[in-house]
Amino acid sequence: MSSTITASGPLTRWRTIDLLTCAFLGVAFGVAYWAWGLVYAAPSNAVSAAFPPLGALFNWPWLVAGIVGILIIRRPGAAVFTELLAAIVSALIGTQWGVTTLVSGLVQGLGVELGFAAFAYAVYHWGPLLLGGFLGGAFEAVYEWYSYWTDWGWSYKITYLLLLGACVAVLGSVVAVALTKGLALVGALNPFPPGQEVRERRAV
Amino acid sequence: MRPRAEDLDAGAPSAVTRGAGVCVADLTWRPFGRARPVLDRLDLTIEPGERVLLAGPSGSGKSTLLRAVAGLLLTADSGDLSGSVTVGGQAPQAVPGSVGLVLQDPGAGVVASSIGRDVAFGLENVSIPVAEMPARVDAALREVGLTMPADSAPATLSGGEAQRLALAGALVMEPSVLLLDEPTAMLDAGTSAEVRSVVGEVVKRRNLTLVVVEHRLDGWLDLVDRLVVLDASGAVVADGEPGHVLAEHGERLAAQGIWVPGVPDPEPLAVDLEPLAQAAAGRLPDGRLVAAASRVRVEHRSRRLGERSRTTLAVDGADLDARAGRTVALVGPSGAGKSSLMAALGGLVEPAGGSVDVALPLTPAEAGDRAAARDRLAPPHEWSSPDLARVVAWVPQRAATAIVGRTVRDDVLTTPLALGLDPEAAGRRVDAVLAALGLTHLAGADPRQLSGGEQRRLAMASAVAHGPALVLADEPTVGQDRLTWAAVTGVLAAARQEGAAVVVTTHDPGVVADADRVLTLKAPVQPAPDPEPERRPLLARVGPLALLIAALCVLPLPALLDTWRQGLAVLGVEVLLCVVGLLAPGRGRAPEGRGRGVLARLAPAALALVGVGWSAWLLGGRDLEVASGAALRVLCLLVPSAFVVGFLDPERLGDHLAQRLRLPPRPVVAATAALQRVQAFDTLWRELMTTRRVRGVRADRGPVERGREAVVVTGGLLIGALGQAATLALAMDARGFAEARRRTWAGPAPWRGTDTLALAAGLLVIVAGVAARLLLP
Repeated sequence: MSSTITASGPLTRWRTIDLLTCAFLGVAFGVAYWAWGLVYAAPSNAVSAAFPPLGALFNWPWLVAGIVGILIIRRPGAAVFTELLAAIVSALIGTQWGVTTLVSGLVQGLGVELGFAAFAYAVYHWGPLLLGGFLGGAFEAVYEWYSYWTDWGWSYKITYLLLLGACVAVLGSVVAVALTKGLALVGALNPFPPGQEVRERRAV
Repeated sequence: MRPRAEDLDAGAPSAVTRGAGVCVADLTWRPFGRARPVLDRLDLTIEPGERVLLAGPSGSGKSTLLRAVAGLLLTADSGDLSGSVTVGGQAPQAVPGSVGLVLQDPGAGVVASSIGRDVAFGLENVSIPVAEMPARVDAALREVGLTMPADSAPATLSGGEAQRLALAGALVMEPSVLLLDEPTAMLDAGTSAEVRSVVGEVVKRRNLTLVVVEHRLDGWLDLVDRLVVLDASGAVVADGEPGHVLAEHGERLAAQGIWVPGVPDPEPLAVDLEPLAQAAAGRLPDGRLVAAASRVRVEHRSRRLGERSRTTLAVDGADLDARAGRTVALVGPSGAGKSSLMAALGGLVEPAGGSVDVALPLTPAEAGDRAAARDRLAPPHEWSSPDLARVVAWVPQRAATAIVGRTVRDDVLTTPLALGLDPEAAGRRVDAVLAALGLTHLAGADPRQLSGGEQRRLAMASAVAHGPALVLADEPTVGQDRLTWAAVTGVLAAARQEGAAVVVTTHDPGVVADADRVLTLKAPVQPAPDPEPERRPLLARVGPLALLIAALCVLPLPALLDTWRQGLAVLGVEVLLCVVGLLAPGRGRAPEGRGRGVLARLAPAALALVGVGWSAWLLGGRDLEVASGAALRVLCLLVPSAFVVGFLDPERLGDHLAQRLRLPPRPVVAATAALQRVQAFDTLWRELMTTRRVRGVRADRGPVERGREAVVVTGGLLIGALGQAATLALAMDARGFAEARRRTWAGPAPWRGTDTLALAAGLLVIVAGVAARLLLP
């Protein structure tokens, strides 16, 4: 990407389509998360049996929604809004974590959001992606220390945090960037900055 | 049935409004990335009260012009806009709702869970006091002839009723200009006439300025007094009294694909399918039974968040035979189960009763072993993806969901290659079909970038590429212009010619006339609901906000609970409280499925439990007490949700969050509108998976394959989500949502005694946690 296009007008002035796209992405991810929740437990439990913090290898997909949300909308709050909606939807359909999923969604979204806020919502490349991804994973890990992994020692806790942070920062970002690019290339993001970047490059 | 004008004056404050003039001057619009503008220095003046029909070939910018008049060009797109548009001398959205807009897709603009609430949406956005809403909503509903109760769910409406609902939503804002964007393109002839007559009455009574975009002109010509024709470059090429314009330009319009009255229907396009040696089509002699469904029953389960899932009967004991080289047309009103019966015949859904038999020579596995012999007799819904694809082809109503390839040519070649057909022969056949359908120049393009008509032609080409013996097409001609219509009917005729059995659901007289047999379906009689109302569980009588807060009261527990005894004690308290919540005192029938729902939601929690318990056991020196302590702690966190989640209604939760917690209204409304559509996403997911199965590329086994498929289908889901968001944004901004930073709420958000009780129960759980920590070892 040669130049970054940010959202139009004051960044905090969300258009209707920004709000709805965040909300619909949240719902779509929520449905996908619900399905992922049904299949991920078995492999996750299997690797955790050998070394519990390895569960992180299967937990990073939960954060993709927020990253995609902020990559597309590029306005403050997009990561939190999308991630929270995805959490609400998967909770309402019925995931194993029930309404406590909301807390996960909130802290995950906040972590990602902070990464982009640190770059003043002006950069949408690897800097904020790595930082935001890591923070999102780290926040989630801390919440899980408290709620699920109360019996772990510090070495496990820290390993889990680093592993989850790294997985989200790298794998989560790669998937989110790939999804965003794919959507932009088929013209689904025309009203948003990533769609405009693609079109500007193509324009003759 | 429809009330007369004089009956209506009582309810509507000022039912007689005045049309406003529209002035478009020097309007140029170039979306980013397009080399040429869609509208180029366009001038158009429409007098107050004038009724205009806007026609032109697809891609001529008719819908774009309509959006410009509504002041919504930048709502769902971005680009360079210059020139001016005024309505009644002002900018179009200066007075929210003064320009009403109805879109093509029935139901695409629905924002609420009941039709009354949906109509009230615009009133909420302009902060009309709640007390005034019911009268205005009722008047608008009556005006468009919707007589069902205002709390009916929009999902239960037919296509025509949904369009009238959209019209009511616009009318309640008392617009002076009404814009209709192909409002009947997706409706059958009878329903279209109904919608047109309602539009005609409303426009006359209110003396509105009307602009309609349509590519089927008949029916509308009587309602309008001016016909404006755009050409492919977006310029006005004809403008005047409809009769004159048609006399002069009728032939040319028809040649561009517009349905002009008086011009005979086009002939089906001649499509030559090059014979494929290994194809399933033609395996049976002409007229022989390919597949037969007998006494088939199909049930649909639908589910809205915060409600129990409902089962409706889509097909009840219907028969359907499909014969080689013959076409059956399934006709009947919407809701008659045409699509469901067709899907059952093709093995796309599992019938709840009856049987589906496919002719033996077409069934999978012709080897002699016993397993194969059993396979031969298995009903098609149990077949593997390639086995099904070899025999069956399916064109869904939404052509966009039928896309499985990265380029147009890849897409058409997908099934032949998945079935292992000779690539060279298949390639020749595919290229010939693409050429016949006018898609050759797009062979390398991304199919998702095509126009709607091109996607429809592509879906037809992809369906017949491998020579299936049974071709199923769901409403293939709805909304198509003359050119695509000829292509679609041409492909169906070619498949029949090749020896395939063709089944088509349709309302289209042209398609019906061409069929060998017509089967009329009637909507099945739904089992009568029990007249005695169900008692409502206590949890259902609690407001959603109180319920949510109560369920979140478990959050401090991990910090409080140390041992398994403490965990068990608190779990006991939780279960007790939740079971009380499920009690349903009062009169009436006992509610069904209370326990089942809870168990279904607890089942996945068991998996989470295993993970936590195991890791605690491993770390805690393989001590069972440590492991069970950890497991019980997690259970304490999860169990209340399993009871509560089924009673959380998103719309009511939104009302509470905005009115009680004063959260910002626009995000809350956007979120609840999206949450209304979870069911739609579920349907879309299923449709994408069904498409993959019938195209022979469904991943049946292997985690890597399945993982890849999940990513691909998620991508499809996201594209669908973005499209829906864009359409809904248009519909909502046309009803004044863009500036609704303060708004009123049609739904109440009361705090009742039961809410306080639920909150107390939540606090009790925390108290129990503290007590257990202090008192138990």
